[in-house]
Amino acid sequence: MKKATENTNQNNFLKGSFKDDISEHHKVSLGITVPEGYFSKSKRSILDKIKEEAVTEVPKEMKKPLVFWMRPQFKYMAAASLVFILSLTFWLQSANNNDIDKSTIEFLSFSDDNLINALILNDSEFEAFADAILINEIVIKAELSEQKMDDLFFNSLFIEDSLIDNYTDDRFLETIIL
Amino acid sequence: MSKDAELVKKLKDPTQKEKAFSELLDVYQERLYWHIRKIVTTHENADDVLQNTFVRIYKNILKFEEKSSLHTWMYRIAYNESIRFLEKNNKKRHRNIDEVPTSNLQVLFEDAYFDGDEVHKKLHKIIAGLKEKQKRVFQMKYFDDISFRQMSEILETSENTLKSTYYSVVKIIEKKIFL
Repeated sequence: MKKATENTNQNNFLKGSFKDDISEHHKVSLGITVPEGYFSKSKRSILDKIKEEAVTEVPKEMKKPLVFWMRPQFKYMAAASLVFILSLTFWLQSANNNDIDKSTIEFLSFSDDNLINALILNDSEFEAFADAILINEIVIKAELSEQKMDDLFFNSLFIEDSLIDNYTDDRFLETIIL
Repeated sequence: MSKDAELVKKLKDPTQKEKAFSELLDVYQERLYWHIRKIVTTHENADDVLQNTFVRIYKNILKFEEKSSLHTWMYRIAYNESIRFLEKNNKKRHRNIDEVPTSNLQVLFEDAYFDGDEVHKKLHKIIAGLKEKQKRVFQMKYFDDISFRQMSEILETSENTLKSTYYSVVKIIEKKIFL
């Protein structure tokens, strides 16, 4: 009998249905309660809080302007654009400085293909190239020729068979000795 | 037009919003309170979360697209607010290492608004031992009388899964309660 009762209790334990009074259902099933008059007090409190929120909410036009009057996403886009422009400026400047320098112009001027070399230079560099050719072709080469002549002459003083014979005749030798 | 649909229409009308919101509180306040209370345990916590929930509902009613019922939408807000509250409380608890950690059950049994006997305490212990999803499904169905269809929208789980979860929990409780 006792077991039958227990079984009945067990089977019916969660069979209690939810009726209209949800608070009563929780009290009976779970033993949890609320203070007397809580829900009417809570309703007033919620309505007051909503009115407070509506009053304290700043209208859009009165809102503190964002930094630089921009929304964050526009601010980031503007900053990114500025960085890009600055980077481009620096890059272009360094590209302009990559002009062919003086030593290269001089080097090019020593080449026999001056006509071809002239084609790789821009107008501002051409003048420097032309000056370099002038120095190279006329002055430096002339000096080198003279130096060659001097070397040949001095070498001949130490060498028995001298190439000087090719350059001088007997009359010149007589002049030197005498 | 259903009652909820009419209520939504009035809530979205600025001239009728205040009055409609008062009606909304009359219909749903108690139900939402109990839904919240079972998650956050004490009356004081439930009171805070309930207020936050209704303020959020009031502020966001214009964004309600009516893809689900008003009831479902509000329950989802209440559920999310409760979870957010628990997470915030858990963080605070971990920061203060000198505090003696207390389980939710202990907090519940010591709450001024717990008036249960030994059977109630046993039931709470069994429910506390369930997995989170099992607990929510059981509480929402048995205590809050939410349909499986609505529950599937709130918990984003299929109805069949919810049904099988619910009936298996009922069996567990019925088996353990009289041990």
